[in-house]
Amino acid sequence: MFSKTLPVAAAVLIGSGLCASGQGIKINFPKDSPVSSLTTDLSPPVTTARGGANLIEVNTALSLRNSGQKRIRSMTLMVSAQDAAGKGSVSVPTLDAGPGETFSIHIDTRLVRPLTAGSPVVEVSLDGVLFDDLSFYGPDMLHSQRSMIMWELEAQRDRKYFKTLLASRGAEELSKEMRLSLARQADSSQRGVQMVRGRATNIDTERETQFAFLDIPESPVEASNGRARIGASLAGAPQFEVRNRSPRAVQHLEISWIVKDQQGREFLAASMPADMKLAPNQSGPVAQDAALRFDRPISIQSMSGFVSSVEFADGSQWIPSRSALDQPGLRQVVAPSPEEQRLSQIYTKKGIQALIAELNKF
Amino acid sequence: MKRHVIETELALHATGDLPLWRSVLVRLHVRRCDECHGLLEALRADRQELRRSADDMPASISKDFDWDQLAAEMTANIRVGLAAGECVTPRERKVATLSWRPLAFAAGLVVLLAGAWWLNIPRTDTEAIGRAIRDMATGGRMNATQSATQDERGPVVGASSAGVVLVENGGRMGIDQGGLEPVMYSVSTQGSASARYVDQDTGQVTITATYVQ
Repeated sequence: MFSKTLPVAAAVLIGSGLCASGQGIKINFPKDSPVSSLTTDLSPPVTTARGGANLIEVNTALSLRNSGQKRIRSMTLMVSAQDAAGKGSVSVPTLDAGPGETFSIHIDTRLVRPLTAGSPVVEVSLDGVLFDDLSFYGPDMLHSQRSMIMWELEAQRDRKYFKTLLASRGAEELSKEMRLSLARQADSSQRGVQMVRGRATNIDTERETQFAFLDIPESPVEASNGRARIGASLAGAPQFEVRNRSPRAVQHLEISWIVKDQQGREFLAASMPADMKLAPNQSGPVAQDAALRFDRPISIQSMSGFVSSVEFADGSQWIPSRSALDQPGLRQVVAPSPEEQRLSQIYTKKGIQALIAELNKF
Repeated sequence: MKRHVIETELALHATGDLPLWRSVLVRLHVRRCDECHGLLEALRADRQELRRSADDMPASISKDFDWDQLAAEMTANIRVGLAAGECVTPRERKVATLSWRPLAFAAGLVVLLAGAWWLNIPRTDTEAIGRAIRDMATGGRMNATQSATQDERGPVVGASSAGVVLVENGGRMGIDQGGLEPVMYSVSTQGSASARYVDQDTGQVTITATYVQ
């Protein structure tokens, strides 16, 4: 009897190997996932009473293996609490994990729940994996595929730029470019900001300000006639018009929203994604019922925007070239790509030769 | 040793106000003591002088003037004056003297409660209470922007140097990278917030995000 039972039990254990769990935390990957979890001992969540609420802290590092046949470029895990509608995610956009290789992702999540709600189970599940041929695996509940493709396109663009620079002007110029990138990263100004949906009608009495759109000639979509309502430390109800000036149908676009304060400091306030189908030469309005609130008092002097990405009907994407982003008013505001930040960190930590070796891997 | 009679007793003896038994003793001493006898005579002379001065009153005041009645009237007038003055003079307010101990105890209690609040109550709850109090104080006379800012019953996502957070239905979800500070963060008007972290050793970039459902 045992000889029949043991193989069945082993099969059950092997099958559940993709679904590790600890007390209060559950790792749930599909059975056919190209990524498997090597972590079997999960740190349980730490629950602390904080006044009338429970603070539940999940702090764990997942060790994962590429169990597929393709190189993985990026991956997104979805983090959700049993009792909550909202979701969170943890993404690694600069991976380069070949078949059989392992990598780790750190998850540090804090949940605050009313005492009466108890301690919910935190579930970590796979939302998507992007491979080097831009193919995708996963349920894509968070629409992470679009972001992951954009990160990969930016990575390819920036690696190509740095490799061309190295080939044409040498290691010294590459070092100089890295130092400039690091200086821009250090100088960039940011503001803490909150996004509240469905509040646009509440700021009707505030003044309306026009957007000045920065035109990127190569952009397949042109944005114009932008305006938004602004108040004290608040901006909302953005509206603008877009026109598809490419020969291809567009299904999604994203506008970056730049705010300038009275001291002349510019910073990226938010991105404004819009799902809309635009045939070639077709125009359409975009209006978003949302408000931004800044964490510190700010007197907004002016606002501007630019088209930061476009997705065509066939799923392919357009992103601005590096030369387009070099125009005045953009380079200081637009954040470097995740890949540029990874490469500049390698340069800082290990030097120019390590950076060249890293670039030569691709 | 012979002790002299003190001067006050001599003065009382001169006016006949000393008790009888004491007066006998003083008289016996004065007979034998020239010094005390001289002082007693001087006191009697002063008394005679005072009587003569009293006799030098104005002619309108007869010798049988009723001094007791005058004294009574003067006393009554003084009392009336004092009562009138009491009516017009501002009253002095008595200042309650406070001991430092209750004040120190109250200050300590305030510090203790503030510390307990700061440690235990989530910041958003404190802000919500503050907004509710301001709302009551202003009687709802806030402008539209304030109203939009302070009416947060709907879901809110935020990104800051502390990471990303989602506040919804009285709960909160925050995701960060073990105390690392993000190198950049932003929000999307479609209802998400994201923060980007760079591992200082490996250069690996991690992006955390929260989403409104």
